[in-house]
Amino acid sequence: MVEGCLQQNPIEREASADLDRWMQRYQEADPEAPTALVTALSPALLRFFRSQVASREHADDLLQETWLRIHRVRHSYRPGEPVLPWIYTIARRVRVDGYRRRLRIKTHEADMEVLPKRPVAAEGRGWLPAFDTLVAALPESQREVVTMLKVGGLSLEEVARSTASTIGAVKQKAHRAYAKLRKLLEAHEEFRGGAQ
Amino acid sequence: MTWREMDQILVGVPAPSAQEHLRDCKRCHELSTAFGQPLPLETPSATMLRQIERAMTADLKPVRPRPPASQLIVALAAIFFFAFALGVYAMGTAGFAAMSPLQAWVILGGLAISAGVLIQSLVSQISPGSGHRFPAKLLPAGILIVLAIVVAGVFPFQSERHFWERGWFCLRLGTPISVLTIIPFWLVLRRGAILSPVLTGAAAGLLAGLVGTSVLEIHCPNLDAWHRLYSHVGVAVLCSVLGLAWGFVFDLADWYFAHGRGRDRLLSSKP
Repeated sequence: MVEGCLQQNPIEREASADLDRWMQRYQEADPEAPTALVTALSPALLRFFRSQVASREHADDLLQETWLRIHRVRHSYRPGEPVLPWIYTIARRVRVDGYRRRLRIKTHEADMEVLPKRPVAAEGRGWLPAFDTLVAALPESQREVVTMLKVGGLSLEEVARSTASTIGAVKQKAHRAYAKLRKLLEAHEEFRGGAQ
Repeated sequence: MTWREMDQILVGVPAPSAQEHLRDCKRCHELSTAFGQPLPLETPSATMLRQIERAMTADLKPVRPRPPASQLIVALAAIFFFAFALGVYAMGTAGFAAMSPLQAWVILGGLAISAGVLIQSLVSQISPGSGHRFPAKLLPAGILIVLAIVVAGVFPFQSERHFWERGWFCLRLGTPISVLTIIPFWLVLRRGAILSPVLTGAAAGLLAGLVGTSVLEIHCPNLDAWHRLYSHVGVAVLCSVLGLAWGFVFDLADWYFAHGRGRDRLLSSKP
């Protein structure tokens, strides 16, 4: 059973193989397959969306939309191929479509007088900022790569497949993200030192 | 620190060499600790998951998986070649006889390579998660630019009297061949045009346009580069724009119907 397997990182390869099998059964209309896939993948997908958008409500919407899209295009999965890049490619597409749709809606809406508050950043261990706080400072493309590697548990090759780029480009983004995060931590420590 | 060590830190399983580096480097140690913190559990609500599951199970039917990429490549290449052969058979090869061997090799080779690259890109576009060897967004424009450069480099620029009439004649010959070829291409691609129908439409239109361009290159004995750019490469440009517009309409219609139905299902499955 794959339930809960994706909440750990890195994802076990056996769990990934399980997902491949469940995906095949989903295509064969096994009624247990949707439950298994939704339960196993939704937490990681929700985290993926949460790292890209501020509001939980919007992330929930994107998650629902992703599963509807997956259901509609389930024939496009080829048995034997890795399921995670397939899922994340669709999730990325849903995020881009959602972003465009919101942009269109925004242009037709008047600005609110009081802006909604951003969710409070999670506290990390000790003085260290939490993962979410750290990656929030990264540019979108780097944030996406780091989230897929760290939260989604995808390999470099899988991230490259999901983002329609090359392994070299993914490595470069992760490298830049890493360098930027190191600098941020340094600045964070200096700030804390100054405050004390 | 090497990339491999950094990667191991990112995914949380540093090898001995990376651990050694972590001991010596304070910053990397801190970053590794920050990344190693358990992620706060933010799970989707059980109610929402049940709704999604119900919506997915409601009309669960067996589906036929997408054919392997090799089959799709063969199918697209076969359609391209068959339409090209049919066009050449119907129109003749006066242009091929008028070209020098170098001109013939360069222009036909360029068209063949462009078609091959487009077919490969199209198959990647309709196979989510398969990776892309060529950037799908830039490819149609890139191919058209390269083709224009090849034509301008290989054929002489001349001034002719009836430029627009002759150009229009070739454009009218080539476009119907291409437009007819779009239909079998779309039949192969339509089930997979799910990620970006607009891009897939533009690429499929260009591929069909290349059929018309290739037929005209073989058929038309006019070696003037302006003529070839306007009316031969013009067929490819025109069909690419038509494909893009078709993809846009398909995207809108698909989103409107499927999204509406899906949302209805999701809402109706609320307890």
